[in-house]
Amino acid sequence: MEPTGHGARSRDELVIRIEGVTKAFQTPDRGRLTTLDNISLNVPYGQFITIVGPSGCGKSTLLKLIAGLTPTSGGRILYQGAEVRDLNTKVGYVPQESKLFPWLTLEENVAFGLDSKRYSREERERQLKYFIALAGLAGFENYYPSQLSGGMSKRASIIRALAYEPPVILMDEPFGPLDAQTRMVLQDELLKIWEQKRQTILFVTHDLVEAVALADRVVVMTHRPAHIMDVIDVPMKRPRNIFAIHRQEGFDEAYTRLWDIFRHELHIKTQ
Amino acid sequence: MTIGATTSERTAAVERSGFLSKRRVWIVLVRVAFVGGFFLLWEIASQRWIDAFLISSPSRILTSMIAGFRSGELIQHCWVTLQEIAIGFPAGVILGIGLGYAFGRSRLLAEVFEPIIIALNGIPRTALAPLFIVWLGIGIWSKVGVVFLLTFFLNFFNTYAGMRQLDQEYVDLARLMGARGWKLTFRVILPAISPYVFTGIRTSIPFAVIGAIVGEFVAATEGVGFFIRQAAGLFRTADVFVGIIVLMLMVIAIDKVAELIERRALRWQSTSEHVRIQG
Repeated sequence: MEPTGHGARSRDELVIRIEGVTKAFQTPDRGRLTTLDNISLNVPYGQFITIVGPSGCGKSTLLKLIAGLTPTSGGRILYQGAEVRDLNTKVGYVPQESKLFPWLTLEENVAFGLDSKRYSREERERQLKYFIALAGLAGFENYYPSQLSGGMSKRASIIRALAYEPPVILMDEPFGPLDAQTRMVLQDELLKIWEQKRQTILFVTHDLVEAVALADRVVVMTHRPAHIMDVIDVPMKRPRNIFAIHRQEGFDEAYTRLWDIFRHELHIKTQ
Repeated sequence: MTIGATTSERTAAVERSGFLSKRRVWIVLVRVAFVGGFFLLWEIASQRWIDAFLISSPSRILTSMIAGFRSGELIQHCWVTLQEIAIGFPAGVILGIGLGYAFGRSRLLAEVFEPIIIALNGIPRTALAPLFIVWLGIGIWSKVGVVFLLTFFLNFFNTYAGMRQLDQEYVDLARLMGARGWKLTFRVILPAISPYVFTGIRTSIPFAVIGAIVGEFVAATEGVGFFIRQAAGLFRTADVFVGIIVLMLMVIAIDKVAELIERRALRWQSTSEHVRIQG
């Protein structure tokens, strides 16, 4: 099985290489719709990458390609050196809606990825306890998802992906449908959880502040057919304070660069 | 660094309970009064307005029923009918769910066989009962066959409908988390479609009983259907009603068992309250 501690790896070792990937769909009227056009991106271990772009530009499709849920139409994706051809079970996936399995309790949901072949009974118990406590869900182990609030389901959905320790977590606008306050609290918690293990995270969002606040690097995508317009390094130090992110050094610089790109894309003129 | 769930979250998570007990008592009272009134009216009608020979009466039916059970005759008939259902119904349920599941898993299978299944479903299946008598004889197996047929299609269609409604994202997520084969089927797909599956099972219960009775109507020497037909032939109206009531109780009993299983299996569903449409 894959080692999960990344301490031994050099900072620059790549976990994902996306090489000239194109994705086209068949439209109902037999046309071809290209959503992703010649996308190339290198993702080193342990980086928190956010992907921003207008809605419908294919950000989610990119995650699906990395997860091997849908095949590429051109180019290739290398995951830990091997080309992704089939389902990539070495990634964790956090979908837009929480998508906890409603027929399983919170604990059973979080335990779903903890394969008995990989984890002994004690390890499993320890892992569950650790992550459930980390997400502040202790005491709710036997609740069904229908009995949990939106924020709780979201946290459970995130630790479900983290619990079996995949090297890469793909997050598809996980905080999209939440209200502003819950969103900030969860961003803060996500960063705190991430600081513990520093998995590689690819986080899709359409919120520019969120993109800058969370990321080491922000990948900017364009309208359909989407290509990568720019990749911005976020020079902010960690750990970060989400609740005062605007005052943190480096935020303005990264945010302004990001906004400039979008302003041009949207043809907004400044006074 | 643990962030505890807030109090509001705890309250939100607590199950909604505390039904209005006073209201419940009223509902039961009105219900009992309604049914009691009906029987009373029936009893009076049989004495004053309509010939008891035609509609019998609750008291006569009760007397007949007690006599039937005392002599053991009715118990024997019930036993036979129950046997037919006990074999044909589970077989129809299991094969129906199995095939519905297989259709959902295999696109090829569904594409090839769907029109055929729909065509077969178009056959009025009770019309096959005489044929089953010819093929399987006058004993219980011909009735088992009819019960099976009636049960099978309902379970098949419901399960298949569930498979088509299945949320792709659940399956994708489960597979990404390493679920395959047994785990994917029994831990993800079947639970996900279980509301459909249970709808199939429960709607097919009365049809299973119908199947047994139709088979027994056509040709039999025992069974509740046979009992009813015999009673009707002898103009023993009370006995006809006894048979009908026994069948009704049978359906209710089987349905109760199914409901119990369903409750346990679907306890994860939020208890659905009555939908409010106006104010």
